[in-house]
Amino acid sequence: MFVGENLERVDALEKVMGKGMFAGDLRMEGMLFAVVLRSDRFHARIISIDADDALSTEGVARIITHSDIPGANGYGVLKKDQPYLAEGYVRFFGEPLAVIIAESERIAREAALKIRIIYEDMEPLNDPFMAAVSTVTIHKGGNLLCRKSVFKGDTKKAAADSSVIIERTYSTRRVDHVFLECEAGLAFPDTSGRITVISSTQNIHYKQKEVSRLLSLPEERIRIIQAPTGGGFGGKLDVTVEGYAALAAYLTGRPVMVRYTREESMLSNTKRHPLYMNYRTGAAKDGRLTFLEAKIIGDTGAYASYGAVVALRAAVHATGPYQVPNVEVESSMYFTNNPVCGAMRGFGIPQTAFAHESQMDLLAEALCIDPLEIRKINALRKGSETATGQVLNHSVGFYDALKCIEPAWKERKKTGNNGFGLGCMFYGIGNTGVPNPSACHLTLMPEGKIGFHLGACDIGQGSDTVLTQILLETLGLEKNCVLLLKGDSDTTRDAGSSSASRQTYITGKAVFEAGSKLRSYLEEKGINKGRSLKDICSAASGEGGPIFDGFFDPPTTPLDPVTGQGIPYATYAFAAHMTEVEVDAATCVCRVKKVHAAHDVGRAINPDAVRGQIFGGVAMGIGFALMEEFIPSRSKSLYSYYIPTSMDMPSVETYLVEDEEPTGPYGAKGVGEPALIPQGASIMNAIRDATGIRGFELPCNFERLCVLSENNDCNYSGSKFKG
Amino acid sequence: MRRISLQLNGEKAEAEIEDYSTLLEVLREQFSLLSVKEGCGIGECGACTVLLNERPVYACLTLAVKADGCDVKTAEYLSGAGSLHPLQEAFVKAGAVQCGYCTPGMLMSAYALLKEEKTPTDEMIREGISGNLCRCTGYVQIMEAVKDAAEI
Repeated sequence: MFVGENLERVDALEKVMGKGMFAGDLRMEGMLFAVVLRSDRFHARIISIDADDALSTEGVARIITHSDIPGANGYGVLKKDQPYLAEGYVRFFGEPLAVIIAESERIAREAALKIRIIYEDMEPLNDPFMAAVSTVTIHKGGNLLCRKSVFKGDTKKAAADSSVIIERTYSTRRVDHVFLECEAGLAFPDTSGRITVISSTQNIHYKQKEVSRLLSLPEERIRIIQAPTGGGFGGKLDVTVEGYAALAAYLTGRPVMVRYTREESMLSNTKRHPLYMNYRTGAAKDGRLTFLEAKIIGDTGAYASYGAVVALRAAVHATGPYQVPNVEVESSMYFTNNPVCGAMRGFGIPQTAFAHESQMDLLAEALCIDPLEIRKINALRKGSETATGQVLNHSVGFYDALKCIEPAWKERKKTGNNGFGLGCMFYGIGNTGVPNPSACHLTLMPEGKIGFHLGACDIGQGSDTVLTQILLETLGLEKNCVLLLKGDSDTTRDAGSSSASRQTYITGKAVFEAGSKLRSYLEEKGINKGRSLKDICSAASGEGGPIFDGFFDPPTTPLDPVTGQGIPYATYAFAAHMTEVEVDAATCVCRVKKVHAAHDVGRAINPDAVRGQIFGGVAMGIGFALMEEFIPSRSKSLYSYYIPTSMDMPSVETYLVEDEEPTGPYGAKGVGEPALIPQGASIMNAIRDATGIRGFELPCNFERLCVLSENNDCNYSGSKFKG
Repeated sequence: MRRISLQLNGEKAEAEIEDYSTLLEVLREQFSLLSVKEGCGIGECGACTVLLNERPVYACLTLAVKADGCDVKTAEYLSGAGSLHPLQEAFVKAGAVQCGYCTPGMLMSAYALLKEEKTPTDEMIREGISGNLCRCTGYVQIMEAVKDAAEI
C-alpha cells in the first residue's frame, strides 16, 4: 500500500545532505557567465546602445543585442509578444536590453555598467484605468489585453427581488514569488550542434518549444533538463534564463551559465496581478444568494504572459464556492508599463476570494446570520450548478470542509483584541476549458527495474514522490523496483506544466494508466507465478523493449466566448479556513494566532505532503494579506520586500476531506493553490471581527490599518470605479 | 590576495583569497561546498547560513578574512561521518523539506540552537530559525523536525 501513506520524499536525502545540485551549482570546463542588462525606464524609445567600452573589457567574450537573435525574438505562453531583448522600445522597468558574456560573473557585471544607453522617454501608463482611456498605446493592438465574461440568468431582475444588496470595491497589489532559489540555468552545445539547457523550471517541454523558436532550430535539436528547482509558484513557467543561456551558448559555442541575483530576479520576474474588483451581491432574507455582479479590472503589465488566464479564472471563480443563480461578471486586463504579471499560485483567485469572502461576511452582518451559517446555506454541493452552468455531480466536499471547522468556530472566544474570520474557496484543477493533457511512459530496464519516465517538474511541492506512490500502488511492487527518470525532454513525454494544481490529478492519472498497462503485462508474463521482475525485464529486450504509455486529458468543454458557459474543469478542490488574529490597538500590528484549514483534496496520496502544502499556503496567504506589496522600481530585494518568517506563523490545524474524484488517480484532485487561496480572505474577516475595521485593500499592513483606524471609517471602500 | 587558514568541517584548510571575497564565495568556489546557497546576497534570507566558531552567520555578509584562524562548519559537516545527523533524519521524517534550497542553512541554524540549548521550547525554536526564510513549508514541519531532533 502506497496511497495514503507518508512515503518519505524521494529527494529528501540528497537535499538534507546539501547535495541537491541546483542549476546555479553546476560547473563545466570552459564555462562562461552571462548577465542580462535591463532598462531603468518604464516606457522609452531606445535611441542607441553603445557597448564598445564594455566589449573591450578584458574577459568579455561577447555582447548580444536583439539583432544577434537567429530566430524569433518573442516568447509567451499564449501570445509571443515579449521580446527576449528589446527592439527599439522598452515597456517596463527591467526590460532586457543586452546580454554580456564573460569569463567570470564579476567581469560580466562590471562590463554591463559600462554600456551606455540613450533613451527618449515616453509617457508611462502606470495603472490600468489610465491605460483604458489613454491615447498612448503600449502595443499596436491597443492597451486592452482581453475581456472575459460569465453571464447566467438575469441579475437585474434578481436585484429587484433581493432583500439586501452589498456593493463594495476591493483591490490587491503585486506580489513577487520569492522562491528561495533565484532563476538559474546552464546551456551548452554538443559536438553535433545540439543545445542543452539545464535550468530551474516548471515545464521542460514548453521551454523546448520556446528555445527552438528563439534559435530557429528544430525542437529535436534542443534538450531541456530540469535541475532540482528551488520553488516556482508560477514564476518559473515563463521563459526566464533559458533563452539567454541557450542564445549565449549557441553564439559562443561554449557552456554558459546565467544565474540571477535576487535583485535581477525581482526586476525580471512576473508578479501576481493587482486586481480591482467591484462586487455587487444580493441575498434573500433567509441568506440565500440571489445574484452577483462583478467587474474586475487587472493590471497585466507590459506583456501578455498569463494575463488572459488570470482574467478568465478570476471570472469563472468570481462567485466563490457558492450557488448563485444569476451572475454577471466582466473581467478585463490592461497593458501598462508595470512589471509583467503572470502566473502566481492561484491565478487571480486569491484576489477574488478576498472579495467574495468579504461580501459573504457583509451579507451575513446585514442579515444577522452567522458567517458560517450563510456559507453553509449557499455552499456548492452535489447537484449544484456553478456560474458557468456546470452541474457538479461528484467530489464536492465543501460542505464537509465547513463541518470540519464548525466545532472550532462555535467554540471561538473573544478575549480582548483577538478576532475570528472565515475564508472559503473552490478551485478548478487544470487549465480552463482547453485541453491540457499529460503523458508519461514506462520501460523495462535490463537491470530488472521499471524505468519511470516522467516529464512533470517537481518544484518542491513533491510531485515526484506522489506520482511514484501512484505508480507503486498501481503496480503493486516495492519501492526499489522503480527508477525515476525525470525532467529531461530527451527521455520523457510532455506532462504539461507544474501549474494549476494539476500534476497529482492529471499526470497522476496518466501514471495510473501506464501503470495499469504494465501491471497487466507483468501478470501475463507470470510475475505472480514466481517469475522475477528481473527475468521479465531481461526477456523483454528480446521483444524490442516494450513501452507502456499513459495519457490523460481531463474532460472539459470550451467556454462560450460571450456567456462563459461550459465545463471549464473536470473537477474542483474546495477549502474552508478559519483564522484567529490579534491586532495591537496601539501599533495596528496584526498577528495571526491560529488557523484551522479544511481541504477537500479528493484523496490525500501523501497526507504529510498535503499538510506541507497547506502550511506553506497559509504562510503565503499571510504575506499576501498583511505584508507583501511589490512596488515597481522601489521593491528591489528582500530588504524592501518582506515575506513571512517563522515568527509570523500561527499554529495550524489541518483537516483533510476526501470526497473522491472518480476521474482522478485513486480519487485525488490537487491542493497546491487551494492551500493559499482562502487564507488572505479569512485574515481580513478576522481583522474586522477584532477591530470593527474592514479593509478593502491588500496588503492590509499596519500602515494601512493605522490609517483605517484613525479615520475610524469602518466601511471604507476606496473609490468606486467605472471600467 | 592573502592566505587564510581555518578549521573547515573538522579539517585544516587553507585558501588564497581577495580582500573583498565573501565567505560564501570562498566556500562555494574554492572548496566546492555547494550546500552553502545564495538566496539574496544581502543577509536577509539565511540560505547561506554557516557556523563560524559554532555561531550561525550569513556567509554572504561575512568577509572570508574573518574566518582566518576560525572554525567553520557547513551542512556537509553534519553527515561527514557517513551517517545522517539526527537533525537531518528528523527533517526527512517530518516532511521539513520541500524544494530544499533553504534546507542546508536551516539545518545549520537549528544545529547551532541545539548546541546551545538541549531542550528548546517551541518559542526558542521559532526564534532560532527566524533568520532563515522558507517559502514552501510555512516552517511548521521544520519546527517539528527541530523539536523531534532535540528529543533524541
